Formats: sequence, C-alpha cells, structure tokens
Amino acid sequence: MAKPRSVAGRRLVDNIVKVISGSAAGLGILALAWILFEVFAKGAGAINWTFFTAMPTPPFIEGGGLANAIVGTILMTALATLIAVPVGMLAGVYLSEFGHESKLTVSVRFLANALIGTPSIIIGLFIYTIIVLPTRTFSGYAGAISLAILMLPVVARTTEDILKLVPNELRESALALGAPRWRTTLGIVFRAAKAGLLTGVLLAVARVSGETAPLLFTALNSRLWVHSLAEPTANLTVTIYKYAMSPYPDWQQKAWGASLLITAGVLVMTIVARLIVQRGGSGSGK
Amino acid sequence: MGNNRIEIPRVQVDDRARSAVKFENIPSKISVRNLNFYYGKSQALFDNSIEIKQNNVTAIIGPSGCGKSTHIRVFNRIYELYPDQRAEGEVILNGENILLPSVDLLKLRKQVGMIFQKPTPFPMSVFENVAYCLRMHYRMNKSETADRVVEALKRAAIWEEVKDKLQKPGTALSGGQQQRLCIARAIAVEPDVLMMDEPCSALDPVATTKIEDLIDELRHNYTIVLVTHNMQQAARVSQFTAFFYEGKIIEFGTTSLIFTNPKEKQTEDYITGRFG
Repeated sequence: MAKPRSVAGRRLVDNIVKVISGSAAGLGILALAWILFEVFAKGAGAINWTFFTAMPTPPFIEGGGLANAIVGTILMTALATLIAVPVGMLAGVYLSEFGHESKLTVSVRFLANALIGTPSIIIGLFIYTIIVLPTRTFSGYAGAISLAILMLPVVARTTEDILKLVPNELRESALALGAPRWRTTLGIVFRAAKAGLLTGVLLAVARVSGETAPLLFTALNSRLWVHSLAEPTANLTVTIYKYAMSPYPDWQQKAWGASLLITAGVLVMTIVARLIVQRGGSGSGK
Repeated sequence: MGNNRIEIPRVQVDDRARSAVKFENIPSKISVRNLNFYYGKSQALFDNSIEIKQNNVTAIIGPSGCGKSTHIRVFNRIYELYPDQRAEGEVILNGENILLPSVDLLKLRKQVGMIFQKPTPFPMSVFENVAYCLRMHYRMNKSETADRVVEALKRAAIWEEVKDKLQKPGTALSGGQQQRLCIARAIAVEPDVLMMDEPCSALDPVATTKIEDLIDELRHNYTIVLVTHNMQQAARVSQFTAFFYEGKIIEFGTTSLIFTNPKEKQTEDYITGRFG
C-alpha cells in the first residue's frame, strides 16, 4: 500500500535545501562584493587626472600615470575585437544557419568549446612560438592576435546560441516571401537577434580585457608611449602584475588603480549589455 | 458556437449551393499528383492528389497531425529548410512541376505566398515590413515604394488602423493586425497563390472575422488554400474542401457537398464532431 508522505518531513527537506542553496548564493555574492569593495577602496586613491594622462614614473618619484598602458590595452583590445568579431560571427552563422549538424559543424563546435576551456597562458605561449620568436620581438600585434584567439570561440558560440533563439517561423516567413538565404540571415535573423549579438560581443570584450597571461608572452609591456603595435606594448594587466609584485608603495597603489579601472570597465560593459538586452527585448517581440 | 457544429455549416452551405459553379469547369491553379512526403524515414503524406481551383478558396480540414500543414508546405518547398524532409510526386503550378530541382525557389516563393499560424512581423517598422519585401523583388524609387506599401496595406484591410503608426515597430500591433500585416506583406510581392496555415488560430473572434472577410475579398485576385481546424470557418469562407486523415486525402469536393452530403463515413464523422 502507498503511504502518504509526511508533510512535516517534506517541509523539513524543503527548508534544508533552502538554507543550503541560500547560503551558497550568499557566499558567492559575498566574495564578489568583497573583491569589489577592496578594489574600490584601495584603487580609488590612485585615480586622478594624471593617472590617465601622464606616463609612468620610476619608483619613489611622485606623480606619473599609466597613460601608455591604458592606450595600449584599448588599442590591442580594439584590434582583437576587429579580428575576432567578424570571423567569430560568421563561424556562428555557419554553425546555426548553414551547418545542418554536419560533421564539420559538430567538429567546429567541439573545437570552439575546447578552445573556450583552454587556459589563456597556452594561447600566449602559442603566439609566442609562432609570432614572437620568428619576428624576434614582442609586439602589440602579437598581443592583439592572442586576445583575438581568446575571443573567437566565445563570439562564435554566443552567436550560434543567440541565432538559435530566433524562432524558425521568422526564417520560414522570410524565405516564404522569396528572400534568399543570405538575406534572411542578415536582414531578418540578425536584426531579430541584434541585441543578443551585441551583448555577446561586449561580454567577449569584457572577458579578454582582463587577460594577463596571453599578453605576458606577446605584447610584454613597456615604459614608453605606444608608438606602434610592432613593438612591445604597454598594457594595464601586465602593468598590474609588475607593479603589484614590486616593493614600492606608489607602484602598488597604481596597480590597485589599474585594477579598479579594468573592473569598472568590465562593469560598465556588462551594464550596457544588460541595458541593450532590456531595450532590444521589448522591441523584437518574444 | 461549438455546440452548433452541424447547424451553422448547413445554413451556409445551402446558400452557397445555389451559386456553386460546376466543379469541372473551373480551371485548376495547382494540380497535385501522387504526392508522398517523408520526415526522415517516417512517411507523412500518402499519394495525395488534389486540384486547387483558381480564384477559389480551398479549405483543408482534418484532425491534428493529419498532414494538412505538411501538404501546403510542399507548395512553396519551404520544407527544404530542414534537410531531412523530402517530397516525391508532382505539384503542377502554371503548367510547371515545382518539385523539379531546376525550379528557381525565389521565383516560386514569389508566386506562392504563405501566411503562418503565428503572426511573424519582421523586427522593423510597419512600413518597412512591407517595403523590405517589395525591395527584395523590385527596383523602385522611394515614392513608388511608398505607394505600393499603402496599396498593399489597403488591400489587406489594415490601412485605416495603421496609417498613423507606420513608423512603429510591427511587433507593437495587436495579433490580428500583425496577421493582416503579414498578409499585406505577402500580397505586396504579387503572388498567384496564397497559402494560409491556420491563420486565425492565434486570434480572437473579432480579428478572425476580419481575416475571414479579407480572405473572401482576396479570392477574386488570388487562389487561396486555407488550412483550418475550425469547420465553421471552412464552411464560411471556402468553395472547396479537402478532408485529410492520417496523411491521406479522404474526400475532396465542393464545400457544400462535403458539409451536407459527404460520401465517406470518416468525413461525416469528423464534420459532425464525432472524432478529431
């Protein structure tokens, strides 16, 4: 005979699960809040006008800033985005719209997933071997390319996932009106997925903008102004690495300032991405 | 309404029977011969043959999963979006077998418009929804485009409701308006045939009435195939009816005959609501 479950027992299990999952969530948020607090508290003091405009100074010399590193990071991230976004998006389009689950699709998706999981230091070493060694110089181009390789699979997979969210009815109605396949994809499907695609790109940019390991072997760093990406190029993350490890208090404070700058940048990009999703979400129907 | 399933068609049918033209004398727009359809290995349509008469509304009725939608999705070969789906047989449109690989799909789909169950406005303004489709098929200047858009919206009986909202997103319209926008979009590219796959199933009764009136109006210029779950709707707007069951066409004839004097027992059982 089936015995009814006791209400008290069920309520107990329910409460236990609630407490466990609640505290797990709390722990995660606590860690995040702590990091943010620490970065803001220690970094805020370093941020001022000269931080953005002046060149770095040697230890014990007051003032100075990280202008070259800020520009270097922006340039390399921008170049990486220019390389990775078109290629990644087209790969995503292939996976979602044209691949038809062929062997190629399955292997491309598998490789992209594997690449997403690859430690970034390995990408750095790879570029070091194939670009830095033959050209005999660390360079901003090598840095940008390793960042691009990091972004590529992220952009491809997000594009695929976002495009797959577009209902098939929309593709069918465009095709049924006599639209060619490319027009259906670019004119209708992309437009419907616009907000999601932009978000994907922003999040990929946010992800690589904090990468240190791939730059350490490629762009290295520099005390000089960024004259050309063909030379070792100053950047924020390697600067943080170098300054934070140094025994000089003003360098350490600048490292905190740079950390704050990157954190704030990622935060802003994430918020912008969210806003885009919210705005786009109401515009594109379901 | 649901309880009078038998009553309502009969009243309508008597009306139509008087004006009914001889079956054979009306030219066919589409002739389907021995059409078989497969989803992968499972067969969904069995040896379908049917004559779709020009400038008439042909209703396709039958229980869920009987192949109604599958059947019309062959007419514009939209099923080819899914590589595992396959059709065999002949579908003759304007004297040409459209299932031949040599057929230009873009041309075919311009000739055979399709309205889907769920309204699917494109993510752009009301005006652009129609203009985009026009520009796909014609080269024309701005004022010409604008004229054609207005004309299409008027013919789809939605102009009065959207003339002040042309720059609003198409998705901001109500469900019934969205569906008429889709119809406007479809007729803007001047098809011969309009296929409608349960166009009212997501709409309220008022919107449904508007679409039905529109269908009756449109048949003077187009040949219409209407898949519907709603038998009153089939009786109200169609001149011919085909009853599908398990992928086979059980009976096809004038709507008045199918609803008053069906030859097959299965047809009678279905239209009297005994199953399905």
